[in-house]
Amino acid sequence: MVLLRSFEAALLRQPKPGFQLLSRGEEAIAVGICAALQRKDPFLCSGRSIGPALARGVPPGGLLAELIGKDGGPNRGRAGRAHVSMPSVGLFGAHGVVGGNLTVAAGVALAQQQLGTGAVALCLFGDGACGSGTLHETLNIAALWRLPLVLACDNNGYAVSTAVRDAIAAPRLTDLAAPFGIPASAVDGTDVDAVAAAVGEAVEGARAGRGPWFLELQCARMAPHSTLTREERPPAEVEELRGHDPITLYEKRLRAEGILSDALWAGLMAEVDAEVAEAERFALAAVWPDPEAAMLDV
Amino acid sequence: MSRLFFREALCRAMAEEMERDSRVILMGQDIAAHGGSYAETRGLFERFGPARVRNTPVAEAVTVGLAAGAAAAGLRPLAFITYLDFLMLGLDALVNYAAKLRFKSAGQLTSPMVVKATAGAKGQGPTHAQSLEPWLMNVPGLTVLAPSTAGDAYGMLKTALRAPGPVVFIDHKKLFPRGGSVPDTEELVPVGSAAIRREGKHLTIVAHSYMSVLALEAATALAAEGIEAEVIDLRSLAPIDWETLTTSARRTGHALFVEEGQVVCGVGAELAFGLRERLSSLRVARLGAKRAPVAPSPVLESFIVPDAKDIEQSARDLLLANVKNGTHRTGKEET
Repeated sequence: MVLLRSFEAALLRQPKPGFQLLSRGEEAIAVGICAALQRKDPFLCSGRSIGPALARGVPPGGLLAELIGKDGGPNRGRAGRAHVSMPSVGLFGAHGVVGGNLTVAAGVALAQQQLGTGAVALCLFGDGACGSGTLHETLNIAALWRLPLVLACDNNGYAVSTAVRDAIAAPRLTDLAAPFGIPASAVDGTDVDAVAAAVGEAVEGARAGRGPWFLELQCARMAPHSTLTREERPPAEVEELRGHDPITLYEKRLRAEGILSDALWAGLMAEVDAEVAEAERFALAAVWPDPEAAMLDV
Repeated sequence: MSRLFFREALCRAMAEEMERDSRVILMGQDIAAHGGSYAETRGLFERFGPARVRNTPVAEAVTVGLAAGAAAAGLRPLAFITYLDFLMLGLDALVNYAAKLRFKSAGQLTSPMVVKATAGAKGQGPTHAQSLEPWLMNVPGLTVLAPSTAGDAYGMLKTALRAPGPVVFIDHKKLFPRGGSVPDTEELVPVGSAAIRREGKHLTIVAHSYMSVLALEAATALAAEGIEAEVIDLRSLAPIDWETLTTSARRTGHALFVEEGQVVCGVGAELAFGLRERLSSLRVARLGAKRAPVAPSPVLESFIVPDAKDIEQSARDLLLANVKNGTHRTGKEET
């Protein structure tokens, strides 16, 4: 989680960081999910992919290179944040169209079922996708065919500027799964252990052949929607979000439990600083793509 | 050679490919026990079972998404879209995901899926009759095929089911009940190859799908007047077989492009431009639907959609140089 936070700070220091969707405040979701997945489980996510990609094991240097458009990225500058993928580490891919990865994830899950891989597909999507028809079509087919699919909704409260209560008629997002008979649970998405436990239960249920599962992971987006979007939430509301910072919450708990000492924390920070500095060096040194390479793999 | 209906040729291709490759699965509305909306999957459900021949709900977005994702994860799905018009509901997964996947993953992932969609006017009105091929030709990464004969339906569907990336396979309501020769031994039609259906020296008529049938009818009628039309069946809309087209048009000096859909930014527009870049003195004309939605009334539908007589007239007009500025839209329309 600390790496994710520090990496995003480094990204913003780049001269042209582009249009980025940060995971600040949502790190426990990415890290908790990836802690619960096996390497073979295909992980699909939305365009808010930076935290999820790092948590899944995409090397930070390569990811930073991808985000700024260098050839050294896993997708050689063709994917960027919105479409980054690295199947070799289990990141099947992000998809920049809101709700767009849901139907694809159903297909990925179908392939696991049909090929008997024993893997479970997990699709992480935002609350903004909950109003999309693709979610409802996906829930229906996943239930009907008992697909090994976990649908994990990262509910950070807003689709850009529109609050969940103004976009979704259902009182609770978990209600959306009920008509299809899909088990659903709401989890504190700022508690990394709770996320990992809930995802683990859902994934292992799907792996055992019990069909899909819907999870609502509740968190707070601590930054504006994107690096180019105005913050329209009242300052007092944004200030209040500090109390939901998953890193601070976890740090406090580990200290209270006597697991984390000052020395251990300092060592962790130094390790992360070094890793991020190395990532920056790698990304800055990476070459730009040959323009003609735009015609490859079309 | 065997005589098969177009729909039977499709069925044989699917059966053979499913037998050959266990990754091939079929998904779509009414394709299982019902045997397909056009009877083109008859017997496949009984032969291959419910895991490989899957009925889907009326939900095109997830049907195409399922195919795109399953293909990326190792299957070879064929998704059925009963009316090409409804592919609009599944375009996101096809265009934004499958067609771009190889590119955006830098070659790490591909989506070797086939969407089979049925185009063409046959009395069903504005949203069950459109020919939207140019929309798809516009997308980098998509292969677009549209056979007109039973033999090609067989050979091209087999090719599509082995292709490295997404293919849209467009058939036509009026083709299913037509018979044709299909080779007894396996014969694949390569992507990007047009077929010369009739040789002629005065003009080249380029068409695809059901319009190829009408173009041949028109060519027969024109021959009685002493006009020898060469008829080229495009078969592959993306990529285009420029070599066959250029060789023919260079010889005849005149090219008429016929399509059932709209001419604005249409197949003919693309072909005429591409050929004029190669043959600057070529005289070109295009014929397609009039600028109106397709109506269900037979009187209105036949006024809107070109028929063999319209093709004949456009050919005569082109040869008589009854054209302005070297290009020409249809024999009747001056919009």
